[in-house]
Amino acid sequence: MASRPLQPLITAIGRVLLGKEEPVKLALACLLARGHLLIEDLPGMGKTTLAEALARGFGLSFKRVSFTSDLLPADLTGINVFDAANTRFHFQPGPLFSQVLLADEINRASPRTQSALLEAMAAGRVSVDGVSHPLPQPFLVIATQNGIDQVGTAPLPESQLDRFLMRLSLGFPNREAERALLSGAALPPASLEPISNPAGLLELQGQAAAQHCSTALLDYVLDLAAFSRRGDQPGPGLSPRACQGLVAAARAWSLLEGRDHVTPTDVQAVLPAVANHRLQRDAAALLAGVDGLR
Amino acid sequence: MSPSARWLQILGLAVLGAGLPGLDFGAPLGWLSAGLLLLAALKLAEARSLQERRLVSLLTLIGCGVQGAQQPELLPSVLQLLGTGLALAGLLALEVGAGLSWRALLRRSLTVLVAALPMALLLFLLVPRLDPLWTAPNLQGSGAAVTGLSADLDPGSIASLANDEAPAARVSFSGNTPPDPQGRYWRVIVHERFDGRRWSRLDEPATAAVPQATPPGSAEGAATPSQVWLAEPSPVQALPWAGTGQGSPSQLRVSPGGELRRQLPGRERLAYLLRDVDRPQPWQQRPPTLVDLTLPVGSNPQLEALGERWRALPQPEQRLAAAEAWFTSQNFRYSRTPGVLPARQGLDVFLFERREGFCGHYASAFTALMRAAGVPARVVSGYLGGRWVQPLGGTPYLDLRQSDAHAWSEVWLPNRGWQRVDPSAWVGASASNPAGAARSAAGPVNLQGWRRGIQWLQWQWWGLDLAWNRWWLGFDQASQEALLERLFGDQRQGLGLVLLGGAGSLLALGIGWLQWLQAPARGDRLDRDLRAVIRRLQQAGIEPAPGETFEQLCLRAGERLPASREALQELGRCHRLLRFARLEPTARARHWAAWRTALRSLQRSPKSTL
Repeated sequence: MASRPLQPLITAIGRVLLGKEEPVKLALACLLARGHLLIEDLPGMGKTTLAEALARGFGLSFKRVSFTSDLLPADLTGINVFDAANTRFHFQPGPLFSQVLLADEINRASPRTQSALLEAMAAGRVSVDGVSHPLPQPFLVIATQNGIDQVGTAPLPESQLDRFLMRLSLGFPNREAERALLSGAALPPASLEPISNPAGLLELQGQAAAQHCSTALLDYVLDLAAFSRRGDQPGPGLSPRACQGLVAAARAWSLLEGRDHVTPTDVQAVLPAVANHRLQRDAAALLAGVDGLR
Repeated sequence: MSPSARWLQILGLAVLGAGLPGLDFGAPLGWLSAGLLLLAALKLAEARSLQERRLVSLLTLIGCGVQGAQQPELLPSVLQLLGTGLALAGLLALEVGAGLSWRALLRRSLTVLVAALPMALLLFLLVPRLDPLWTAPNLQGSGAAVTGLSADLDPGSIASLANDEAPAARVSFSGNTPPDPQGRYWRVIVHERFDGRRWSRLDEPATAAVPQATPPGSAEGAATPSQVWLAEPSPVQALPWAGTGQGSPSQLRVSPGGELRRQLPGRERLAYLLRDVDRPQPWQQRPPTLVDLTLPVGSNPQLEALGERWRALPQPEQRLAAAEAWFTSQNFRYSRTPGVLPARQGLDVFLFERREGFCGHYASAFTALMRAAGVPARVVSGYLGGRWVQPLGGTPYLDLRQSDAHAWSEVWLPNRGWQRVDPSAWVGASASNPAGAARSAAGPVNLQGWRRGIQWLQWQWWGLDLAWNRWWLGFDQASQEALLERLFGDQRQGLGLVLLGGAGSLLALGIGWLQWLQAPARGDRLDRDLRAVIRRLQQAGIEPAPGETFEQLCLRAGERLPASREALQELGRCHRLLRFARLEPTARARHWAAWRTALRSLQRSPKSTL
């Protein structure tokens, strides 16, 4: 039986973020699939803890930006600053130049700033005053938004949502976990020892992308997409980019499961996280509508 | 490791070469076959390009076909099939390149052969059989020293009979029942000329009479009882038969004396089919000639004197009865080791002094006595009896060995024609009739240990061989005529069109089938098995949940059915690997085996525990 390469990390994060193994694993899969993560949840559910734990686990640099309505794109990307000693400008990188960026309350920023962030996420580089600066690798954006408190926000349009590989919701911990939390059993994220390094993460990402997808599995994904696009289903259905993301996430998930090939079970495990924010409805109907016996 | 195309082609040529010794080089086809093989071998030696090596495979295929036209027997057919398969596999390896396993090559070649089968069947059924157009003139005395009956019978010169167990012929009967022991006389050679000591054949203009082309269109084609013979090579052209029947293949002829002859001298084994006929054969009614009464004067004076006495009796039947009475009264003994008779007056010495000898002595002496008594008579040698062999699940047959060789007499009775008389039977039936019921009950006598095993194997193979020959000989010219008559009636001119159209469409059908086989998206075997598992679970009341994967279903079912939990888990695991994983061929085979084992175990588990 193949080993599960990241099980120690999942266990370690579990000691920091109690009772949240499933979202942790999904977040990790998102990281391995080179995607970006949107967490939609109430404040105080452990979003920051999760982001910080992920970053520390791989020894990645971590920054956090609280998005407000007056945040400007330059506040994220950085600006050219005049160096009086050398009498010339030099680039002062903004918080975007970190390996894990926590973009808190992304829906509070202006659409212009949101757009700048999403462009950077998609392109992997930032242009300031005509000079292109590559972002560090690996690069993971964890954006959060508060789904309830909507006054004075600019909700992300669907086209922007599509850029996030997954949307997760941490949710309340169960009673056991919460009791343990209150009794002080949870460790601070700072206590997490790195189990790998950025190079190791890049290698894992490469490995995930190389997981075997058989024709039968791709047919399953295509059937899911076709079902979501059917006339009797609400919404426009899964985009080709969504399908790509679904396969990439399923690949990463199968790696976490310790296998070298992807199965429909992997697709089913990641489908709600990948599809829910794109379909604006529950992906469970999608899973029930397509024959998994193949 | 995948086999290389070159080696496959060499193997194919070698198999083709193995069929060469059995070919008849008296006919042009034999030389054509050998020439094709030589050509292919030379081409293979000098071939450099792909086109040239394709040509080698093509030549091998044509060679197999040409050999098949000459040698339809079982062993050559197996060789030809093997050669065809190897040639196709070589071609496949050429086209696909290295990388196919032996098993895949074999499977694909066989698939191609199967696809061609319907067309082959149509051609077999409908293409008119032709008489051999290329029968070469008789090459007399092909000289091979093969044991068997000899053209001359001189019992006096034989001191003792060797117990030669070499095979002579095998015959199977359409009813699968043997004739009764009295009817198991198989005539081969008719000896008419007598010089006082030696009986020899009267070599009449060979094969004047034809066993006749069978009446076409008669319904008796399939219904009449028939015999299929497989005769071993023999230096004489005559073949064993029961004395009646019409033959196939059509190069069989019956001589005026009643010998069944092949047109070509037989260095190879011959298979032939005889259909029984009710009416008497022409040779039985052919009046005797002077030769049948000739007895050299003074060669055996005592014998002549005895015969002269019977001349007084008016009817030939009475003379015959007198001879029988005389033989039974004279204390004759049957012996396989009687010693050599003197060169002069040998029969006198046998009849009046020693009174012991084997079938040849009795037939010879009795025939001479009859001639002396004025009754036309002649000696016939052939086989008597044989062992009735019942191979495993095959056609039972009669196994004739050289030790079953026998000689008897035929006398001419007016109004009744030539009648068989076996004087050896008068002198101790059990000894003179070594075949028949007593022998077959004894089974393989005086054979020990492994030789008995080898004989058993040989009998099984001969059984197969006969069944095969019965199959292809059974559909002879006559049966084909009947079939064509039924299909077309008098509208025979449509046959060519039907043949062309049928062959073309069947070929297209075969090609279409091959294409269909290669189409990937179809309910494959794993899928069929998977549906079977689901049906089985449904019988146990477990319905698949919407969207559930097979592995999840198996796990869930395993919770409900603890007795089958392991099998279900194994099924889920194997299905996942076979369907979604990238597997090496060996690993794939291993998982397939595990899948099938688990499937069987699930299907075998009783419904109550399911």
